[in-house]
Amino acid sequence: MAYAYLFKYIIIGDTGVGKSCLLLQFTDKRFQPVHDLTIGVEFGARMITIDGKQIKLQIWDTAGQEAFRSITRSYYRGAAGALLVYDITRRDTFNHLTTWLEDARQHSNSNMVIMLIGNKSDLESRREVKKEEGEAFAREHGLVFMETSAKTAANVEEAFINTAKEIYEKIQEGVFDINNEANGIKIGPQHSTAGGASGAGGAGAGGAAGGGCC
Amino acid sequence: MDFLKSGLKTVLGAPEPGHQPSGAEIVERLVDRVNNSTLLEDRRDACRALKAMSRTYRVEVGAQGMDTLKQVLELDRADNETINYALDTLNNVMSPTQFEEEENNPRVPMNIGEQFTEMFIKDHHNIQLVLDLLDEYDFRVRLSAVQLLTSLLTNRPKDIQEIILVKPMGVSKMMDLLGDTREVIRNETLLLLIKLTKGNANIQKIVAFENAFDRLFEIVSSEGYSDGGIIVEDCLLLMLNLLKNNSSNINFFKEGSYIQKMLPMFNTPDEAEEAGWSPQKVSNVHCMLLIVRTLVSPSNSAQIISSCQKIMKNVGLLDALCNILMSSGVPADILTETINTVGEAVRGDVTNQEFLGNVMAPSNPPRPAIVVLLMSMVNEKQPFSLRCAVLYCFQCYLYHNEMSQAGLVQTLLPSSSDMSSLTSGQLLCGGLFSSDVLSNWFSAVALMHGLIDNPAQKEQLLRVLLATNIGSSPVSLLHQCTLLLQQTTKLKSKVGLLMLLCTWLSYCPAAVAGFLRTGAVSWLVAQTCSADHDDNEYLLQGLSAFLLAICIHFNDDTVENYSKESLRQLLTKRIGVEVLTSKLCEVSRHELYNVAAKHPQLRAKLPNDVLIDYEFCRLFKLLESVVIQSLSERRPENGAGSPGAERASPEDGTLLQYKSLIRQQDACLQELRLEQQALVQENQTLKASLNDSLSAISHLKDENTLLRAQMSAATAIPSQAPPPAPAPLTLDDSRVQEYETKLQGLSAEVTRLAGELKASQEGQKAMAEELEKIRKDQDDLLELLADQDIKLNDYKMRLLSLGHPVEDDVAAPAPHA
Repeated sequence: MAYAYLFKYIIIGDTGVGKSCLLLQFTDKRFQPVHDLTIGVEFGARMITIDGKQIKLQIWDTAGQEAFRSITRSYYRGAAGALLVYDITRRDTFNHLTTWLEDARQHSNSNMVIMLIGNKSDLESRREVKKEEGEAFAREHGLVFMETSAKTAANVEEAFINTAKEIYEKIQEGVFDINNEANGIKIGPQHSTAGGASGAGGAGAGGAAGGGCC
Repeated sequence: MDFLKSGLKTVLGAPEPGHQPSGAEIVERLVDRVNNSTLLEDRRDACRALKAMSRTYRVEVGAQGMDTLKQVLELDRADNETINYALDTLNNVMSPTQFEEEENNPRVPMNIGEQFTEMFIKDHHNIQLVLDLLDEYDFRVRLSAVQLLTSLLTNRPKDIQEIILVKPMGVSKMMDLLGDTREVIRNETLLLLIKLTKGNANIQKIVAFENAFDRLFEIVSSEGYSDGGIIVEDCLLLMLNLLKNNSSNINFFKEGSYIQKMLPMFNTPDEAEEAGWSPQKVSNVHCMLLIVRTLVSPSNSAQIISSCQKIMKNVGLLDALCNILMSSGVPADILTETINTVGEAVRGDVTNQEFLGNVMAPSNPPRPAIVVLLMSMVNEKQPFSLRCAVLYCFQCYLYHNEMSQAGLVQTLLPSSSDMSSLTSGQLLCGGLFSSDVLSNWFSAVALMHGLIDNPAQKEQLLRVLLATNIGSSPVSLLHQCTLLLQQTTKLKSKVGLLMLLCTWLSYCPAAVAGFLRTGAVSWLVAQTCSADHDDNEYLLQGLSAFLLAICIHFNDDTVENYSKESLRQLLTKRIGVEVLTSKLCEVSRHELYNVAAKHPQLRAKLPNDVLIDYEFCRLFKLLESVVIQSLSERRPENGAGSPGAERASPEDGTLLQYKSLIRQQDACLQELRLEQQALVQENQTLKASLNDSLSAISHLKDENTLLRAQMSAATAIPSQAPPPAPAPLTLDDSRVQEYETKLQGLSAEVTRLAGELKASQEGQKAMAEELEKIRKDQDDLLELLADQDIKLNDYKMRLLSLGHPVEDDVAAPAPHA
């Protein structure tokens, strides 16, 4: 339960590019082939390890549909990382990236790490967007790029973990103000070595530490 | 008022002598001044005056000043004081409450605040103006803006929620105010957020995303948890809003380890017992219990419930709740809610149920907490709501747990050695036969929950014997229940016992047999037919009909006089299937049935609302159509409805039905397939033979025509031959005539053959034989023809030798193979 840092992520991109599937693959390690429309925003969480430190990822998976756009904008500000996803088999989802990026840059804090994801790499035969194009777009806008497949799980772990690494490096460099929770980063209850699960006493200590760090 | 008047004078100038301006006129002049004055001070004074008038002259200020005030918000942002007056004025105009000043003014409509709100929010930009003012650090401006938003939300919650939702940073801005160091603003913001999050899942999620739970727990802990003031309650109410029916947020709450953070709320300091609980503490703890229940509410998805229950157990929250149960000095309503909460925290989770079963009360001698709770349930001096809560908790303890169900029945069996201590089974039996009607009902339902979906315990419970009077022989529990059912005049007791019996007898032929042996059937029939006509009577008739139908459906024909068939005949004769069916329908029509069917927890405010149990509704829904079917069923040998096949559980029963149905269909399918294969083969052979026959026919036809041609050729020769030698050849003539008759005979035979051919065309199977026959005949004919040829040649030769010329072309017989 104890963690060194907590990072908040959001996943954005056009509808049907596989945002929810990426999250499901990352948190539950399974793939759901049926497209289940996300309503508003859904939540998922997982613990990862970077540099020997436990890091908790809280991920908000947003609805891609235009109708929910105004709602999902409220989530940009408090996120430390964003996965901007397009579908390599649908050129239009790639073309919309500029709009998404503008939206994100406008509403988020300037240090937010954005990872560009070309999803559905398993559908090579139906590819409409070349890998080089994705790379070029990422280079041009200063993003990290990766092609993934939520179906085969290829690169899914890497996408989430590399984003976390990037954020972690920024923290080490002192770019992020980790005491401002509006940046989407929280320091864990540091001194709770026993963990919160050891009865009332331990949990009480954990609660006190949680209060002290803020 | 004097001060107000002098203030007005300075703003408006001295009134003209002899003319007392009306409120509307003053407002008009003030609005003009705000609109037209170039001096900031003037506008500020006018706003102050408007604010002062806005309570008494709400309609006038609102009607004339709304646009002007909006304009002030936009243009005079630099001057906090003016802005503050404008905001306060707007807040007064749109306030949802009635002011003292208006109480005796009939011109002010009741919902005036709401009407002005509607006008104000027509332009969404106005909301944006107010939201922007939240950024202003000035205390008065910020506070007034928060209050104004709260008023707006009170008046038109749905509209404002939708507007704020689409404003980027709208919700985030309000969340920032929770961190304001000035407590007044923080507290007002809490009220605003409570209104804002009510019933809007999207806003709830954004608020949770903006670290609401962290902030709220910080406030709660800094205020001293349950000992804190009303602020703690407000924080908890907001949390409750965020979690209610919002599985995404519940998931977040669980993943964010916030369940652990609730723990200090439930720490009961020992020294405080004497001091008692302050009303605020009662409210705080009550709210916290509601939050716990929201996480494990039966209406959540099973996955969420089970993971929350596990966490509650692991972090010691369940332990803390049980401590509250067992500690003294806890106010009754908190105790009641804690019992409900403990129930839902263990419902369906074997580990937690076991934990609850092992909790011991600090009494002397120590007793299991469950027993202590049940003692309260069957004690008529305890508050009604508390008794209901105990029933619910006990139901949760037994829910989907065969072990705890077995444990309950075990305490009633004679083998249980320790007779000295009080057991839950004894308490329930005592309650069942006590004079308190509610105790009867509670105990019957509690006992019933020990049997749900558990055929083993239904049979075990049949072994239970009761010693009614000293000296008399013991009576079985089942028998005692039926006796009580017939003796009691109380509706609740009857309904409780009927529900218990229905559950007990369903899927348990042994219990049906036991019940039939008590001879209560005739009483049940009479009860079903009774002629009283009020809702509760209908319910009783329906329940009796249901029990009768169960006796038929789950009957294994072991009781001689009450076999399936004889019972069915009895009912058809005495009541009639139609009547019985309509009586059954009455059950689900009862008002309290529909209330009970909605939620596992009994939600009764008054003892009168207690009548039907949720799990019984489930059983009734499941079995209603099945038992009706078996009522009208004619052939008892129909395997699908046999009780033996359906003993295990309702699911198993239907499963078995379906399985046998599938098996039947499979067999049927197999049969049909074989049949179809045979038919296909037959069809092919028939087709082949038809082809053969057809070709044979055509062959025969060809041969037939050939033969005819030959025949006509053959007959032509003798008819032409005789005339050239009439005189000299009489002998020959007679011979020719002889041949002619022979030829005629032959031609007749040919026609007969033709007829036979036709016959052969109709009868395909006879064709081959016919063919053979015809071939034979044909051979004969050929032979004859050959003979004839020879004879003809002979005649020719003779004619030639007699000097008679013979034409070659006629005489030449066709060569034949």
